[in-house]
Parts: sequence; C-alpha cells; structure tokens
Amino acid sequence: MVHALTEARRLLKPNGLLLDLRPAASHRRAGLGEGKRWKQVGVMRENFDDDIASDRAIRQVTREGLFKQESVVEFDLDRVMDTLQDFRAWLDDFPGDKMPSHDWLYKRVERTLEKESNGTKIAVRGLMRLRLLRKLKQ
Amino acid sequence: MALVMDPAGAEIQALKKITNWRGKRVLEVGSGDGRLTLRLAKFNPAKIIALDPDPKSIRTARKNLPQKYKNRIEYRVGNAEHVKQKANQFDSVVFSWVL
Repeated sequence: MVHALTEARRLLKPNGLLLDLRPAASHRRAGLGEGKRWKQVGVMRENFDDDIASDRAIRQVTREGLFKQESVVEFDLDRVMDTLQDFRAWLDDFPGDKMPSHDWLYKRVERTLEKESNGTKIAVRGLMRLRLLRKLKQ
Repeated sequence: MALVMDPAGAEIQALKKITNWRGKRVLEVGSGDGRLTLRLAKFNPAKIIALDPDPKSIRTARKNLPQKYKNRIEYRVGNAEHVKQKANQFDSVVFSWVL
C-alpha cells in the first residue's frame, strides 16, 4: 500500500493531488426502499483489517512528509438491487475468508420484503470516505 | 435483475466538490469497467488515463467508451505499484477503491 502511494507521488506534478476514495471502516447496512424512504433492516458484520492497514499506510506517508492531508469528506453510498437474487449474488461475491456468512441477514431481508409492496427495492448503504492529499516537496 | 451503484450520485458529487477537474491531467487507478471514469469525464479534465489490473474490465470499459470521450479517456491494464508513466505527469491521481 505504501508502495502504491509512493508511486502515485512519483507520477504527480509538484503540488499535485491524490484522492483516496474507498469505503470507510464502518459496517454496511441493508435495508428496503430508496433515498429518503430507505429503512434499515440489518447491519452487516465485516472484517476491516484491510481498511485499517490502508489507513495506516496513509498515516505513514503523511508522517514521512510525502503528502499532506487537506480534507476528508464522508458520505453514504447506496447499492440498489431489484430482487432478492441480486442481493444473494452480491453477498456471495465476498470471499468467505473476508466476511462471515450473512444468511441471517438475507433471511431477515426476505421476511421484511414479503410485507412490502411489489417493486420495493433492496438497498445496501455504506459509509464512504474521500481523502484529499497534496504532494509535498521533500 | 439489476444492481445500480450510487443512483443518487453521492460519490461523484463529493469528487466534484473537493477539487477542480477542468483542464487537468488525471490518472485513475482501479477504474474497473469505467463507471466512475465516465462520470469524472463530465468535469472536463484534459485527459484521464484509467488503469485496472483486470483485462476483462478494461475490455468492457473500452467497449462502453462513448465516441465523444475517445480522445480524452485512455484505458490501460495496469496496477497501482508500477505505472508505466514518466514522473510528474498528472495533476491528480484518484485511487478508486484501491487502497
């Protein structure tokens, strides 16, 4: 990770900007509905080892004077799915060693969805973090 | 069956607010199939070079590249650790879900 950051620094012009966009180390929430009508059904249980390591790499390059952090923005990002099959497929995409089974969450979403009107969508909402880092002279 | 990522456009709004993209040379690392690249292109950067290690994703991105962006977006297979570009080339580097 530090190698990727130093490579980015090499490629940047003097005073250039590095934007680090990725999910924050915060459990995603599954729910029904979209936008302001979204209602939470359950909270995922995720492993944040990779995120913690990435944050550590950022701290290292700022401490070493390679970059200066200028701002951080956080916002929610939704993945909206039409069907339970889409939700299942999305959950199944995670490697087993990275995330425990979420069959309980799938069943909870399924039960809640049965009480909703046809066409209700499933949305997974997650916190995103965007960091702005400026390349420094050394 | 469908999955729509960020229908509200929260991600691109955050990127728009945080810096000025117009006329800039941008390297996007982790471009995938170009979802975010095409959104960034609307901010009128001079050039976007978009890298992803997955050749299949790059093929998809190239296939979906609109004619109007052909001169401004270049998709390449590559990774964050070794980018085949000279030093001091870009105004901004975007790590898109990469670190």
